[in-house]
Amino acid sequence: MASSSSSGLTFKLHPLVMVNISDHYTRVKSQMNPPGGDSAAVKAPAPPPRVYGCVIGVQRGRTVEIFNSFELLYDSATDSLDRAFLLKKQELYKKVFPNFYVLGWYSTGSDAEESDMHIHKALMDINESPVYVLLNPAINHAQKDLPVTIYESEMHVIDGIPQLIFVNSSYTIETVEAERISVDHVAHLKPSDGGSAATQLAAHLTSIHSAIKMLNSRIRVLHHYLVAMQKGEIPYENSLLRQVSSLLRRLPAIESEKFQDDFLMEYSDTLLITYLAMFTNCSSTMNELVEKFNTAYDRHSRRGGRTAFI
Amino acid sequence: MDPYPSSSQIAQKTWELENDIVSVDTPATSSSADAASDAIFYYDDVAQAKFQQEKPWANDPHYFRRVKISALALLKMVVHARSGGTIEVMGLMQGKTDGDAIIVMDAFALPVEGTETRVNAQADAYEYMVDYSQTNKQAGRLENVVGWYHSHPGYGCWLSGIDVSTQMLNQQFQEPFLAVVIDPTRTVSAGKVEIGAFRTYPEGYKPPDDPVSEYQTIPLNKIEDFGVHCKQYYSLDITYFKSSLDSHLLDLLWNKYWVNTLSSSPLLGNGDYVAGQISDLAEKLEQAENQLAHSRFGSLIAPPQRKKEEESQLAKITRDSAKITVEQVHGLMSQVIKDILFNSVRQSSRSRAEPSEPEPEPMVES
Repeated sequence: MASSSSSGLTFKLHPLVMVNISDHYTRVKSQMNPPGGDSAAVKAPAPPPRVYGCVIGVQRGRTVEIFNSFELLYDSATDSLDRAFLLKKQELYKKVFPNFYVLGWYSTGSDAEESDMHIHKALMDINESPVYVLLNPAINHAQKDLPVTIYESEMHVIDGIPQLIFVNSSYTIETVEAERISVDHVAHLKPSDGGSAATQLAAHLTSIHSAIKMLNSRIRVLHHYLVAMQKGEIPYENSLLRQVSSLLRRLPAIESEKFQDDFLMEYSDTLLITYLAMFTNCSSTMNELVEKFNTAYDRHSRRGGRTAFI
Repeated sequence: MDPYPSSSQIAQKTWELENDIVSVDTPATSSSADAASDAIFYYDDVAQAKFQQEKPWANDPHYFRRVKISALALLKMVVHARSGGTIEVMGLMQGKTDGDAIIVMDAFALPVEGTETRVNAQADAYEYMVDYSQTNKQAGRLENVVGWYHSHPGYGCWLSGIDVSTQMLNQQFQEPFLAVVIDPTRTVSAGKVEIGAFRTYPEGYKPPDDPVSEYQTIPLNKIEDFGVHCKQYYSLDITYFKSSLDSHLLDLLWNKYWVNTLSSSPLLGNGDYVAGQISDLAEKLEQAENQLAHSRFGSLIAPPQRKKEEESQLAKITRDSAKITVEQVHGLMSQVIKDILFNSVRQSSRSRAEPSEPEPEPMVES
């Protein structure tokens, strides 16, 4: 059912959507299996439920950006989607996020199923080409990839009958600065208060360091691969080589007079601010010193002499 | 991919230990651990109804001390606050109570334009609130509204006079209720989430001890409002939690996220905020200078307390300027690192052929 998509659309997913879906799933799961007080009585846990919902966002040209999501009511016994609910929810979200519209729907599970096509078709009257976001809630610590897949529907002729099937699409994670910071915050549970300047510095540098570490490991993989290719262990793959060579040619990233100027200007701006802060610090310390001096000597110097300060 | 040595992990553990960071989620090694950390998601309406009846908070104004915010709620609130730009936005939080803690499970935005001059902007959104809560209950979110949040873009997390009166009203009729304030501008500038949770004291109540609140810099035009009301509410400790699935997802997310961390550029996005902060500091400095000039002649007669106050005014300014500088320097450090990484590779060095991920423009905020 899943081959790669040929529609040429690029998908961008915001982390909020994933956390939303995960939260929906965890809620429904825990309501179904209330935490038992004593571990000896093990209730056979009900099979994890499938949850359904709608994803909303913006489509600009060829880029589909999924920003947010909300839940849907779907009765799998009768295969019916609660339309009234969907419309109500859409209306509510339109008020707060007037730019977003329904882009598709989501569900949890390990693979797309035939029954999913029903919901997909049902949503087609809202959006002619909905996307289907599938989250796999099974926690598998071995896997390195996000358990989220995005499917599109395409009309394929199978056995002479034109049918809609799901095809896999690739996506990227898109974020804004604020989102990134809060995700970072929750992911690593950093202390929320200032701490000393040293801890702040450490925290900031640690995050950059880990990012660079990732970059480095990716580069090493590529390097290893290329060396193996050079030695002849792996057959040459020209398309990959072309990509690597074009990457290399992009370095150095920017090298123009204007950039240097602007960069140095920003640098000196920051240094100026540091200088200013230092000045303020110094004058404050000076001020304190003078105050202390005055306190120590003024009271005794009415006659013009300085008494020995003990 | 070579596994990296765990020395960094050891360093992280030491740092966590030194900073008393309590990890709220247990490592999901067994399904029982999963169940334990996910247990917080279970809504027991019988227990909640009982709690509502008992009203233990009626006797003790300081009853609630802690707040636990879920990852989802935090994300939604921060994103909503940031999307407002320089306009204050507001929304409601849903959750439940647990002993002396209020647990915030989810948050949603309200379609009202919040300005600091409107007493009860919530009134406009009652219909929205009711609709939303109804649809939520249908969809399986059973919690009740347990608080409200709004943003103070650029001027810190505290309750203004209007906020205090709104919250006092809320605490009379909609208990248990919590007020949360988020500053999205400072969040982006500082690289960590600026958030505060508050509850007001009832009218006329004097707090037994002077609450030690964390210092934050307030712009001059708001400082009066802050000072008048700061004794009327207290802040609660905030901790965060996430489900096992959330942790798993977030861990995996890092594999894609690191690009954004590297390419983020806090200096660019917050230029005018920083300029505003500096000019605000300049004004405060002038004020402090005037006060100091007076005190020099009055130091012979003036009581020692006044001198201390002026000194601490200057000390406060120094602290503020240090904070701004630190943030700027951090931003600059990132820029310099990016420059070194991506700009100083020369084609001539063949021995260090370093292919690199395409870095579109290191200066552009992603």
